[in-house]
Amino acid sequence: MRAERRTGGRAVGLVAAMLLSASPSVRLSAQDSARVSEAQAVLAPLVESYGVSSAEGPVREAVKRLLPTWAKSETDTAGNLWVRLGQGSPLVVFVAHMDEIGFRVTTVRDDGSLELEPRGGFIASLFEGQPALVHTGKGDVAGVFIPRDSGFTRHTPPPLRVDVGATSRARAIARGVSLGATVTMPKQYVRLAGTRATGRSFDDRVGDAALLLALRHLDRATLKHEVIFIWSVREEIGLEGAGVAAAALGTAPRRVHAIDTFVSADSPLELPNFAVAPIGAGAVARALDNSSVTPPAYVDSLLRLARARGVALQVGTTNGGNDGSMFTPYGVVDVALGWPLRYSHSPAEVIDLKDVASLADLVRAIAESW
Amino acid sequence: MGTRRVRQHSAVSGPPFSVGRTAAVVTLTLATLSPVRLSAQSLDPLALRFAGMTAVTGLEQAMTDSLLALLPGSTRDRSGNVTLTLGQGAPKRLLQCPLDEVGYVVGNITGEGYLLLRRVGARTTYPLFDQQLEGHRVTVFGSKGPIPGVVAVKSTHLTRGRVTTGAPDPVFTVDNAYVDVGAATATDARALGIDVLAPLSLAKQPLPYGDRLLAGPAAGRRAACAALVAAVQTKPKVRGTVVVAFTVQSLYASNSGLASVKALLGPFDDIKTASVPTRYTDTAVETVALADVDRLEREMVQWMEGR
Repeated sequence: MRAERRTGGRAVGLVAAMLLSASPSVRLSAQDSARVSEAQAVLAPLVESYGVSSAEGPVREAVKRLLPTWAKSETDTAGNLWVRLGQGSPLVVFVAHMDEIGFRVTTVRDDGSLELEPRGGFIASLFEGQPALVHTGKGDVAGVFIPRDSGFTRHTPPPLRVDVGATSRARAIARGVSLGATVTMPKQYVRLAGTRATGRSFDDRVGDAALLLALRHLDRATLKHEVIFIWSVREEIGLEGAGVAAAALGTAPRRVHAIDTFVSADSPLELPNFAVAPIGAGAVARALDNSSVTPPAYVDSLLRLARARGVALQVGTTNGGNDGSMFTPYGVVDVALGWPLRYSHSPAEVIDLKDVASLADLVRAIAESW
Repeated sequence: MGTRRVRQHSAVSGPPFSVGRTAAVVTLTLATLSPVRLSAQSLDPLALRFAGMTAVTGLEQAMTDSLLALLPGSTRDRSGNVTLTLGQGAPKRLLQCPLDEVGYVVGNITGEGYLLLRRVGARTTYPLFDQQLEGHRVTVFGSKGPIPGVVAVKSTHLTRGRVTTGAPDPVFTVDNAYVDVGAATATDARALGIDVLAPLSLAKQPLPYGDRLLAGPAAGRRAACAALVAAVQTKPKVRGTVVVAFTVQSLYASNSGLASVKALLGPFDDIKTASVPTRYTDTAVETVALADVDRLEREMVQWMEGR
């Protein structure tokens, strides 16, 4: 996990040992294809990095480590990570966000417990009564999200607090807790049956991974124009990082491709009215969401490209906004792409690794040929 | 129905420090304790290990396998309890730790490969026990080994615009649980060794925090049984006879595991149950202070030695 932050201490070591001991003993899938193996190798360390909106540093460092050696990256004032390649017009931009949903400490109470505010939108009950991690300058501090002691007839809990085992404000602060510290719960990348996997923050680490995989396989010699890959910050709290990048580029880009989750209705709990994109059936053109509409001619063109390159591509409409929509006020066309995800913004998101490989192939094809 | 062998992590659990009908409540008085025989450093990993085990009530075999390995000379009786007799003569006393936990078994498998559940054991103090499953990782203990899965939850994004202020806010129950193990069909799920009656629990990832606090499902029971194992491993000089029992089905069928031990090995002059105080009881972060576990271990050694 995170190499750049101290997560030391006996407790974390013991947890790691327990996690290892809980690994499944059953072989869940046949031999992976090389593409699936590579997708997993890139994705897993990204998923296991922590980066609540405005605290994406560990994820940014993980992305840097996974870049091909030839790639020269730079970080802008907002914290977005850029890689530029190719020359000439039209300029095409790909953007995937690094941040994840979570909390921020707003108050340290006299009894040592922490009051929180959410960062991003999610179902609060999924954190209630679960292990917690407070990310501090001194490393991660373990604790628990305190379960409610009343109001048991409602699904939704009261505002959540965290208990780090401190009995006073002073003791909590002595552990390294401070106002503004971000809070998540421990997470793991875990393989399920076949080519499926579960974890938290696949949104949007899969997008981050797809950009990295595309860069690794890109034939730079074939590029006919400039391409910029951006790993953005603070998407979950209002597309803020993308806003900074869009303002910096202005009207220069011809197209922007937001690479983000296609929240799928492929679930026993969802209505099939829309968002119907089965997991495992390939990348998805996110042609209409709550923030942008892709012009139909661009969707058609994208489909032709995918067919020509033999890339699995679905087309659909889902909910949510995307970073590309921050570019459209500058006259840039947003052709958003994604992959189907089950159980979005939960600790148990589910993907199919074949879709990750498909999405990476599509990003590469667009960069090289469109 | 044929015999099903289910591989599980083993586990220990137990109710609060309670006593049998014939015994008085044992007061935990530090001043009367003998010197520590087992260091806290050696008990912590055992408590952590036990807290990572699963023993759904009535389906505790894997945990009892672990206990048999940890305690040479112990045996498993026909009900599944693990017992070990120490010393001889009178008085004859019983020191027991219930090891089971409330959990689930697979009740059905849908055509799309989702597992549906039935809860096993009803005695939980936390009214939202089932809701803790929603959107979280679970482990299914199939015939080929443990299989990771998740319990489906509605996607946050797809609820937008469909849930209005003041709308009903019903709690999640086990009847809403669809377990996704990555299978696309029932045949796929069965190929993983999963079938009806396979035990299932939240994925166990016990969490040490604070000053030697340990959180996890059934952490109190697990830690208490770890303390009992540690106490036995100190080889106490037992007064009379002490039957040490790790009992099954304490949360089902009228505590039949303990009843079985009494019937097969009793009568007993005194009965003591190992337990430690817990916080956030019956939640996924049930918390125990490992200092209390140390204290329990010392106190049980004293009790066995008749001091």
